[in-house]
Amino acid sequence: MTFSGEFLAFMSLALVAVIGGVLLLNLTKVVHMVVALVFTFVSIAGIYVLLSAEFVAAVQILIYSGAITIIMLFGIMLTRHNDTSEPQTGRWRKLLLFLGVLGFAFAVYIGIYNLDIAQTPTDLHVNNTEQIGIELYSKFIIPFEVTSVLLLVALIGSIVLAKRDDEKEAEEE
Amino acid sequence: MSAVPVQAYLALALILFCIGLYGALTKRNTVIVLISIELMLNAVNINLVAFSKYGIAPSITGQIFALFVITVAAAEAAVGLAILIALYRNRQTVNIDEMDTMKH
Amino acid sequence: MMENAWIIPLFPLLSFLFLILFGKRLKEASAYIGILLTLASLVYSLLVLFERFTAPTYKAEGVWLTIGDVQLTAGFEVNQLNALMLVIVSLVSFLVHTYSKGYMNGDDRFPVFYAYLGLFTFAMLGLVISPNLLQTYFFWELVGLGSFLLIGFYFYKEEAKAAAKKAFIMTRIGDVGLLIGMILLFWQVGSFEYDEIFAAVEAGSISATMITLTAILIFIGAVGKSGQFPLHTWLPDAMEGPTPVSALIHAATMVAAGVYLVAALFPLFTASETALMTVAIIGAFTAIFAASIGLVQKDIKRVLAYSTVSQLGYMMLALGSAGYVAGVFHLMTHAFFKALLFLAAGSVIHAVHTQNIEHMGGLWKKLRITGPLFLIGTLAISGVPLFSGFFSKDEILIAAWAHGNTVLFWLAVIAAFFTAFYMFRLFFMVFAGEARSDMKNVHESPSVMTMPMVVLGVLAVVAGYVNTPWFGTFLGDWLVEGNHSLGHGHIEGPAWIMVVATVVSLLGIFLAWLMYGKRSLSRDWLTSRAPLTYKTLYNKYYIDEFYQLTIVTGTKFFSSFLRFLEVFLVEGIVKGVAGITSALGKLGSKFQNGQIQTYGTMAFVGLAILVVIYAVTGGYLK
Repeated sequence: MTFSGEFLAFMSLALVAVIGGVLLLNLTKVVHMVVALVFTFVSIAGIYVLLSAEFVAAVQILIYSGAITIIMLFGIMLTRHNDTSEPQTGRWRKLLLFLGVLGFAFAVYIGIYNLDIAQTPTDLHVNNTEQIGIELYSKFIIPFEVTSVLLLVALIGSIVLAKRDDEKEAEEE
Repeated sequence: MSAVPVQAYLALALILFCIGLYGALTKRNTVIVLISIELMLNAVNINLVAFSKYGIAPSITGQIFALFVITVAAAEAAVGLAILIALYRNRQTVNIDEMDTMKH
Repeated sequence: MMENAWIIPLFPLLSFLFLILFGKRLKEASAYIGILLTLASLVYSLLVLFERFTAPTYKAEGVWLTIGDVQLTAGFEVNQLNALMLVIVSLVSFLVHTYSKGYMNGDDRFPVFYAYLGLFTFAMLGLVISPNLLQTYFFWELVGLGSFLLIGFYFYKEEAKAAAKKAFIMTRIGDVGLLIGMILLFWQVGSFEYDEIFAAVEAGSISATMITLTAILIFIGAVGKSGQFPLHTWLPDAMEGPTPVSALIHAATMVAAGVYLVAALFPLFTASETALMTVAIIGAFTAIFAASIGLVQKDIKRVLAYSTVSQLGYMMLALGSAGYVAGVFHLMTHAFFKALLFLAAGSVIHAVHTQNIEHMGGLWKKLRITGPLFLIGTLAISGVPLFSGFFSKDEILIAAWAHGNTVLFWLAVIAAFFTAFYMFRLFFMVFAGEARSDMKNVHESPSVMTMPMVVLGVLAVVAGYVNTPWFGTFLGDWLVEGNHSLGHGHIEGPAWIMVVATVVSLLGIFLAWLMYGKRSLSRDWLTSRAPLTYKTLYNKYYIDEFYQLTIVTGTKFFSSFLRFLEVFLVEGIVKGVAGITSALGKLGSKFQNGQIQTYGTMAFVGLAILVVIYAVTGGYLK
């Protein structure tokens, strides 16, 4: 097995992503967890590049490392996090879940391990963004438009949910 | 041709998915639960993109699917956060184990 | 009249229901209701009997249950035996109802007593008109219930409670035999009808072994009910009940039910020589066995109880010797004179408030009516000529002799001697001799008590003349009329049997007079000469102790073993099941804590288990 550049890049990116995930599980402070996950997201963007998906990689960095992480940080700051104590119940649940996850991972890994797909050369890396644009505006035009509606609904819904209900609170006071 | 087989990408996706799942089901803080769900979605995206390149019938569609997933995940994060804020205003907590009023 | 014979048992039932419902308010007046309604039964029974003298047997049945091809019927039948039994039962019941008015006067549960009497009378009358075994069995058990209630009437007395339970359980042992016999018969014949059973027996469609088996099983039922050896021990104990009850149930009617059953199924018994022999041997043995115990008992009612057992043995001996007429005849006469004796004994007890005959004496002058009546009863049971017992006992002896049971015949003769002796011992000890000092306020019973005794006294004398070798065997001819399987109306026997019977009974009386009347013989010669024999007799051959030691102890041991099983095995399993269920429930409710993560965990773990199972067994594992 030769240590090609692609392999080294994959290994380092995968390592960073997994470490980010593990830190998410093990850190105690909420902000640290989110920051740890930024590493994971960025590494995944790198993985996308390796998979000749430059546009998706760019979107990944923009949306995840940028938007979502910031939203989450806002969410954390707007709420109170004074208790870092461990939950009293749930030891057994955690153990059970851990075993379940292990079993699941084992079963799926067997499937992955036995996977054998012949690699065929692709031209995805050539004008990647252009290809996506052409597909998106021709074949996937309806889902694309529906997605815009979804985003609009999410936008309005979020505002309605998060807005202070002044009238009600005025009544209560 | 490539030194990195498709199995490696899939295995990475599996590991990240499992981490996300474990986090989503064990963390007390609702924000972290949401973010864990994002991680699971990301793992799925890795699969989609990997199959778009190394699948049986490679095509750009996998990447487009990943884009849709990212969009939906963003919308979900926004709505989830909004719900969280509303809930926090009412209950003064973000701990998921204190949100059990549906039981009664 | 006969078409409506079913109405006869309904009168006492009405009395029972009415008194149970309104007895508390009626108090003493409830006696009149009971007396009137049983009088109605008696009148109706007499009318039915008179009609039956000329008319043929009447039988009416309706389908009660249809199970597949089998139809179970219910109805009633009036044949000679049934008509006779109707009269005996309703007559004795009526007299006892009347008598109880005086005897039970002042008892707190007076109406209840009458209600129970009504129930019992209903059951007994229903029993004697049943046309099939199943119906007979129903009423048979109902009779047992009535007996149980009446024996345990003084339920606050420990002995009465124990006696009631004992009577119920002992008869139940017999009933199991009856039930099995019934089921076997049904299996063989496919019907509970008496007629069809007899037809099947006559046609030979049942194997001889099966006939013998069923006959003996049914006889076991009769043994239980009629207090035959070895199930006799309940009858003397049943004397704990009120004395009128003893007269009604344990002298005239219920204990005769066993004899009635054998008589009703007589064609079945005659079909099997072995079964007949069993009946005869049990009967003869019981007769002499109980008579020998009666020789030394000190309780007036117990003496009478053992004499009842002994007389029932006589009846069984008669039936077992193919002497159908003799058995039924003795059943009738015995019902009269034994009821008389019990009522008279009740009158004595009523007067002196003790049952121990050693504390009595010299009552002849004080009880001017009871005394002579008791004497009549005693003479009748002893078989002194011209009294009813003489004729019926004579019939039995002749039947035994004619059937060739020589040994049993001589046993019966000895038993007759014993009977005469212990009955007159009783009579002399109670009525003769000096009055005891503590018997001051002795006075005769009221007329409501003496009148029934007078009626019975008359019957005890004259009842025998319906079937005598001198004036014609009217009863016997009538009983077997139109039915060949019942044997001859009158069995001819050598004349010396009558002489022997007379001599033997007179000898017994004479001996008793010598010992207890004239006192020329020491009373204690048995006690002093053969103390062991005396003790054995006094303790009733230790039968009760034997049962206590073997059956009761064995049952107790077995039950404690079963209890052990119950406590540790069955209960353990039950508790285990309950515990597991409740533990599972608790575990399940713990999961239902409203937390989304728990639900998610469970759902995911379930999925993971399925995936793993599929991965391992699904075959894509290379």
